[in-house]
Amino acid sequence: MFTANTTLMLVATFLPLLGALVLLLVPKGQRRVFEIGSLLVMIVSFLMSAVFWFGYDRASDAVQWARAWEWIPSMGVKFSVGMDGISLLLWLLTTFIGPIAIACSFKSIEERHKEYYIWMLVLQTAMLGVFITQDMFLFYLFWEVMLVPMYFLIAIWGGPQKLYAAIKLFLYTLAGGVLMLVAILAIYFLQHKTTGGYNFSLESFQAMAPVIAQQSKTYQILLALAFFIGFAIKVPMFPFHTWLPDAHVQAPTAGSVILAAILLKMGTYGFVRFLLPILPGATKDLMPWFIGLSLIGIIYGALVAMIQKDMKKLVAYSSVSHLGLCMLGLFALNPYGIKGGMFQMINHGISTSGLFLAVGIVYERRHTRMIADFGGLSKSMPIYATVFMLMTMSSLGLPLLNGFIGEGIILMGSFQAFPWAAVVATLGIILGAAYLLWMYQRVMFGPITAVNEKMEDLNLREILYFAPLVIAAFWIGMYPKPIMDVMDAPVRKLVEQITPGYHAAQSLAAQQAIAAKLGMRGMEAPAQQEVTSEGHEAAPATGHEVPVHEAPAHGGGH
Amino acid sequence: MTGFSQGLLDALLRDSHLIAPQLFLMVVATLMLWPGDLFFNRNEKHKWASITLVILAITAALIGRTTDGEGFSRMFRMDGLTRGFQMLCVLGAAATVALSVKLLNSIKQQTVEYYALILFSLAGMLFLCGASDLISVYFSLELMAISIYILVAYLRDRATSVEAGVKYFLLGAFSSGILVYGISLLYGAAGGTTTNLADLNQALALTPTTSNLLVFSGVLMVLMGMAFKVAAVPFHMWAPDAYEGAPTPITMFMSTAPKAAGLAAFLRVFGAGFHGVTSDWILPLCYIAGASMILGNVTAVRQESMKRLLAYSSIAHVGYMLLGVLSGDARAGAQAVWLYMLIYIVMNTGAFAVVIYLQGKGEGERIEDFKGLGRKHPVLAFAMMIFMLSLAGIPPLAGFFGKFYLFKLAIEQGFVTLTTIALLTSAVGAYYYLGVVAQMYFREPDGEPSAPMGATSVFIVTLACALVLVATAFGPWLVDWASKITWV
Repeated sequence: MFTANTTLMLVATFLPLLGALVLLLVPKGQRRVFEIGSLLVMIVSFLMSAVFWFGYDRASDAVQWARAWEWIPSMGVKFSVGMDGISLLLWLLTTFIGPIAIACSFKSIEERHKEYYIWMLVLQTAMLGVFITQDMFLFYLFWEVMLVPMYFLIAIWGGPQKLYAAIKLFLYTLAGGVLMLVAILAIYFLQHKTTGGYNFSLESFQAMAPVIAQQSKTYQILLALAFFIGFAIKVPMFPFHTWLPDAHVQAPTAGSVILAAILLKMGTYGFVRFLLPILPGATKDLMPWFIGLSLIGIIYGALVAMIQKDMKKLVAYSSVSHLGLCMLGLFALNPYGIKGGMFQMINHGISTSGLFLAVGIVYERRHTRMIADFGGLSKSMPIYATVFMLMTMSSLGLPLLNGFIGEGIILMGSFQAFPWAAVVATLGIILGAAYLLWMYQRVMFGPITAVNEKMEDLNLREILYFAPLVIAAFWIGMYPKPIMDVMDAPVRKLVEQITPGYHAAQSLAAQQAIAAKLGMRGMEAPAQQEVTSEGHEAAPATGHEVPVHEAPAHGGGH
Repeated sequence: MTGFSQGLLDALLRDSHLIAPQLFLMVVATLMLWPGDLFFNRNEKHKWASITLVILAITAALIGRTTDGEGFSRMFRMDGLTRGFQMLCVLGAAATVALSVKLLNSIKQQTVEYYALILFSLAGMLFLCGASDLISVYFSLELMAISIYILVAYLRDRATSVEAGVKYFLLGAFSSGILVYGISLLYGAAGGTTTNLADLNQALALTPTTSNLLVFSGVLMVLMGMAFKVAAVPFHMWAPDAYEGAPTPITMFMSTAPKAAGLAAFLRVFGAGFHGVTSDWILPLCYIAGASMILGNVTAVRQESMKRLLAYSSIAHVGYMLLGVLSGDARAGAQAVWLYMLIYIVMNTGAFAVVIYLQGKGEGERIEDFKGLGRKHPVLAFAMMIFMLSLAGIPPLAGFFGKFYLFKLAIEQGFVTLTTIALLTSAVGAYYYLGVVAQMYFREPDGEPSAPMGATSVFIVTLACALVLVATAFGPWLVDWASKITWV
């Protein structure tokens, strides 16, 4: 039964929904049943999904475990599912965060338990659905369905301004979603005009890229903008980010965790999956704007985070900054940039969830999140301080932890494409270290007040739900290769879709570089001193496939 | 002379099978008024509701059995379009009757006239769905509207109800005048020979360019008259007042059945009749549709009364549906409008059923009355939430599917800007629909849980909710049904 196949994928995806339906029948007062029941469902779903990590064929760039069932034949809508490496990673991240989000709610949710856990489970299925669908209609469906549970989670169990925050989230995302729908339909009909058939499958949409490239510039730019706004709102990129701080601050801890770890990734996923492969030309035309907005996001998010007095708001703005970095990586449009962006999505999911959970812990105990209310917590809560430290370090990119790898690869990629942008982004990373460490310092060190002295350290449940995050942070930080391998083939394909002939040009450049060096060495042979110094430099380059510093000439030029 | 009248009589008898459902309705409704009214005494009048439902079922069966054809000097056509929209009208009427019983009982206003008037106006709608001549369009509109004027003012001891009726009547009469004037201009422009839509289409195409203005004025006036009947901006002013003052089941009736019939006429007159004659009506209709979406949705945001909210939202929904009328491919447009209307009737009926139930308790008029419904009646609140989300067009509910199908067509036909407006305003719509949801779930209730619902209401709410939930999954069926909305 537990082999990676389409059935198991669907079961893992829809199990939470099924669990929600079962829990619907349980009478209201049974708080424990809802808590344990939904946790079990999430864990089983995670275990099932883990099978796919091992079953994934890393050599292939095809959509694996693909199946399609006819749904509305006259419109070309299919119930079509499947995953490639990019979807798989985010799908696994979702199942991974699911149990953690449930486990962190046991204490903080004090009323209306039944509804809460049911909405959480429904949300989980909707999110998982987004990552497995291979049909645009189905994708839009899951994309919008997701909003409803999130709306309720914020509006019922949120903070004082919850209604405002919830409706803002809903309307922003809906407005972006409908623009995306217009773009989807426009491509759908263009496809009908070209091929004569009606088809919503993602594959056929991606195959439309050359046809779209022949349309007028205005048409392409408008399509790209419609997709861009839809996804940028979700990411969120500056200036569409204003819903995020409200939503994060008002949401319950689990809501923030899911929002940060998964919901924001839908936006970046949308860019990778739709905008880049379908509209590469228009994307490149708009690139200066996209890069500009990403950079503004990185710097602006970091600066605003710096002055926050509320810890949760600080972490929320740090998301704006980190997601800006992800976008910068994706927009580099080369393998390093895209892999780095994808990688950083996973990292952000882990480290920012950790930070939100950490903020949630003190909020549960003190019912305040103001930095000024705390100080010296490292004395009363040593375990907490350690975990918080690890999460902070992972977020600011300390070597050996996950954030470092992602940031490094993104900077490599973006330096190849836009050296100046990478320089600005580095500034954002430095600022990131500054605001996170400053927050850590103010909360954890310094004089301790009487109230804070009595705060309890993490209990077993809390340690248990932090443990997977910490382990993942270390594991990814020390041995990122497995994750890289999963992305390798799909990203290669994606880059080829964006810039046809990219890899051929790269390997040609590499060969030329080697040839040039060999030639140079031959010429310079008489001068003894120079040969030795050149030999030292050339030796590692010949050993690798692609020397990094050769790339800009071929990579960014298209 | 005898030969002529004999021929006329033969023709009438020959064609009468086309209008069998209408004839049946008229005869039965007349019999209900007299001698039927004598059968039941004061306390038994609610039985008329059940009888009316049986009559409606028979009408539906009759509609299903009629064959395609054209008759009465080509004034009436029976075809896929007619049949499909007639079914929608019957559906709307049936829901109205079923939901009326309890409310009328509680205010002791059960009369046979109420049900008979619904049947009369339904007969008008059935005529309107198949009217293929401007004259028959006009008289069916009047038959439909006059019955509804009375129904709006049905609670005659309530000032708001009478006011609503008078307002509706005055503006309705005015708009009928404009419509008739427009028809007369077109009649003149076409050479004074015909008002039949198909003939008019050909005759108007041959008119000299000097009479362009005449044709344009005529078309524009017909457009105005009909836009009034479906309450499209800027001819919508009557709607919120009439909706608010009318007895709630009649409000529901007005927002479903006459709209379906009105849109059927719209489709036939503009989609088929004026199609290709002159494209001058496209632009005004674009403005009407766009303005309806924007004004309907934006104004609804500020409403405090539930019925006014639904009134403005129905204006917005008409704006969406006019996108289908605009469609260059008239048949696909009709199918999309039909599908949307079907879904709209189902979800609107569900929402009104909840409102009517609360109204039985003296609540439900104001949005605030929904406060804490999630606590008091979890199941009812859940259903209302589904209806609201569906009206807002959130997938995977039925409302989304209707919108998707309609907007897909509009984009295909090149109305990209208008569709973008439609989609963005529907996002605005989500704001006020969610406002109702917020009242139900995020506010504490003040009163005790009120009495359970009647069996009929429970049935209607459950059925509507189930349909709304699963509609998208059964999309192929819906598309299949819609594909029957054709004409030769």
